Amino acid sequence: MKEFEFVYHPILPSRYTLVEVASLKAECDILIIDGMLADDLHISDRPFGDLLEYYGEISKWILTVGTCATFGGIFSRYEEREGKGLHFDSGTPTDTYRHLFDRSISIPGCPVHPETLVSVLRSLVLGYSLPLDKYRRPLYHYAYTVHNGCTRNEYFEYKIDEYRFGESEGCSFYEKGCRGTFTRGSCNRVLWGGVNSKTRAGQPCMGCTEPDFPDMNLWETKKNMGIPARMPLGIPRRAYLGFAGIAKTFRIERFYKRLFDEED
Amino acid sequence: MKRIELIEKVEGEAKVTYHISGGEVEFAEISFFGSRHIESILKGRPYMDALTINPRICGICGHAHLIATVRALEDCHKDISIPAKALEIRETTLSMEMIQNHVKWYYLTILPLLSDEVDYMPALEASRLCAEVISLLAGQYPHNSYAVEGGITSRPTPADIFSALERIERLKKLFITNFVDTEGVSLPSCEKVENILSLEGTLPTMLRIVFENGWEKLGRSHDRFMVFGENSLFRRGKSTGTRIYGVPDVKFVEESRVQGSEAGLVRYRDKYYETGPLARAMMNRTSLVRDAHRRYGDSLLSRILARVCEIPSLLEYAEETLMNLDIDSPSFEEPPPFPTEASGMGVVEAARGSLIHRISVENGKISRYDIVTPTQWNLGNGTRDEPSVVQRALKGVDENGPLELIFKSFDVCSVCTTH
Repeated sequence: MKEFEFVYHPILPSRYTLVEVASLKAECDILIIDGMLADDLHISDRPFGDLLEYYGEISKWILTVGTCATFGGIFSRYEEREGKGLHFDSGTPTDTYRHLFDRSISIPGCPVHPETLVSVLRSLVLGYSLPLDKYRRPLYHYAYTVHNGCTRNEYFEYKIDEYRFGESEGCSFYEKGCRGTFTRGSCNRVLWGGVNSKTRAGQPCMGCTEPDFPDMNLWETKKNMGIPARMPLGIPRRAYLGFAGIAKTFRIERFYKRLFDEED
Repeated sequence: MKRIELIEKVEGEAKVTYHISGGEVEFAEISFFGSRHIESILKGRPYMDALTINPRICGICGHAHLIATVRALEDCHKDISIPAKALEIRETTLSMEMIQNHVKWYYLTILPLLSDEVDYMPALEASRLCAEVISLLAGQYPHNSYAVEGGITSRPTPADIFSALERIERLKKLFITNFVDTEGVSLPSCEKVENILSLEGTLPTMLRIVFENGWEKLGRSHDRFMVFGENSLFRRGKSTGTRIYGVPDVKFVEESRVQGSEAGLVRYRDKYYETGPLARAMMNRTSLVRDAHRRYGDSLLSRILARVCEIPSLLEYAEETLMNLDIDSPSFEEPPPFPTEASGMGVVEAARGSLIHRISVENGKISRYDIVTPTQWNLGNGTRDEPSVVQRALKGVDENGPLELIFKSFDVCSVCTTH
C-alpha cells in the first residue's frame, strides 16, 4: 500500500484525528465510507451530511466499503432509524447524493474482501480500467458468483439434496439456504486468507454483497412445492427444472460415498 | 474545570469529560454513542439468524459473539451433546481471535502513546496469520458462522491442521522477535518484572518508558475482579486482589441504562468489577502478573502486562489443542428438535473479558436477546460516589498525566459496548 497515505484511519496511525477531520481540516483524494448512513448520524458532534458534502466535493473518488455503506445492510433493519447506503436503500437508488454517483465505487460485502478493496484502490491510482455494474460494483471482483469455485459444486450440478453440517460432502443450496448461486462475489475465487471460504467450510452463503442482505431465515432454503424458490443467477425456472429432472433420473454412486472412505 | 476529549481508535470512539480540580482528575464522565440496536434487530428473527448477525456486532471480537451465541442456543436444549472435536476447534479459533486482538491493541493503541515512531507491521502480520488459521478451520475471518447448534460446520483435514500449525509457529517467532525474548521460558511464568526490563524487545522498552515517567502505579482501581467464562486456559472466579472467593453467579449481574451514554451500566451485586486479562491472571495466579500486582497494584502496568502475557499462553493453548485433535472424530451431531419455548445463556471469555449472551426463543423465533459486553463492565458511566472501574482508575491522576494510556489499558471496544 505504499502508494497511499492514510489521512485518517479508524485504527491505524494517521495524519489527522477524527476531530480534525470533522472540523473539515483534512485533505482527501479518496474518501472511504463505511457503515450505514442515517439522518441522525454525527461525527464528533458534526452532522455526517456536512462531512459528506465537504469531502465528497474535494475527493477524486468515493468508495462505499461494506454492505452497510453501499446498501444499508444489517443495521438498516432497525426501522426507527431509516438507515441506508450512500446511493442505494437496499436495491432502490436514492437521490440525496446523486451528484457524487459518477465518482463513486461500491465495494459491498460483510465484511468487504480485503483483496477487493486494495485492488480497487490501486486500480484507481494507477489508472487501470474498472468496469462497473449497475450498482457501481467493480466487475473484476463482482462478476463472479460465490458459487464459482466452491469445492462442493458437483453435488450442486447433479442435484444431490442431502446435506449435513460437519461433512466434506454435499451442497447446502437445497436445504440450508445457500445463496452462492445468486450472490456476486469472489469468495471462492480469491478465497479468504487465501485459504478457504465459508461454503467450503460447510456454511451456506448468506448473500452479503447484495442489496437485500440480510434476508430473513438465512439458514433455510425457501421452497415452492419442494423446489428452491430462488434460482441461480439468470437461470430460468423451466431450464432449472429441466436440468434437475434429468439429473435426478440418474444415481451417481460416487456422490453417495464419503470422499475419504477407502475403497473395498 | 472541565475538559472534554474524544478518545479515538477504540473500535469507535468514546467521549470523556474530565472534571479537573487542583490539577488532578476529580471525576471523569464516560460516554459511548452510536448504538446500532442489535438486540432489537434480532427480535422476531428465526433463532439461527443470530449466528449470522451477531458476529457483525464487531470486526475485532465478533468471533467471541458467535461462540457466545451458539452456547446460548445450545443452552436452550435440556440435553444436547457436542462432539469433543467441535468444542476443541471452537477453542482454537476463539484463541486466535484473541491473539490478533491483543497484538493489534499493543501496536496500534498502546505503543503509539509511548513512542513517536512505531513500526506496526508485526501487528498486520500477526493479524493476517491469525485470520488465516481461523479461515482454515472456519472458512473465513472475520464474520464466519461455523459454530452451529450441535458442533461445527467444517471438517478440517490433516493438511488444514498442518497449515494452521505452521502459522502458529510463525506467530510464536513473531512474539519472541518483536515483543520480548524470554530465552525459552514462557513470559507469564517469569517470576519478576524487573528481570524482563533487561531483555531485548518492544515490551521491555515500553516498560522502561513507563517506569522512567513514574507511571507504574497509576490507573489503580477497585482491585476487584470477575471471570465468568471457563475453559482449559481460564478459570471462573471472583476476587479482591489475589484473594479469590468463589465463583460468580449470573443472576447477580445487573444491567441498567444511564444518562449520557448509550452503553448500559453493568454491576455485580451493586459493585463494579474488572474483567479481562488482568482478572483472568488473578484467577490463574499467573506468576509475572502476580509480581506486578504485588508491587504496583491493579495499575496500568499490571493491566498491560497481563494482556501481553496472554499472547504466548494463547498460542501454546491453540497449538496444543490442534496437535491433540482426534481429526477423524465427528464435527457435528444432529441436535434434538429445538424446544418450542426456551431460554439459554452463553458465556465466553473474549479478548476484553467476560461476554454474556442471553436468548429467549418462542416457536423458533427470537423473542428477546440480551448482550453484556466486557467493556460495559470496565468502562461504565458511574457516579462520583460510586465510580466504575475506569473512573476509579482515572481519579486522582494529574491532568497532564497518561490519562489516555490508562483508558486504553482496558482495551476498549466502543462498538460492542453500544451494540
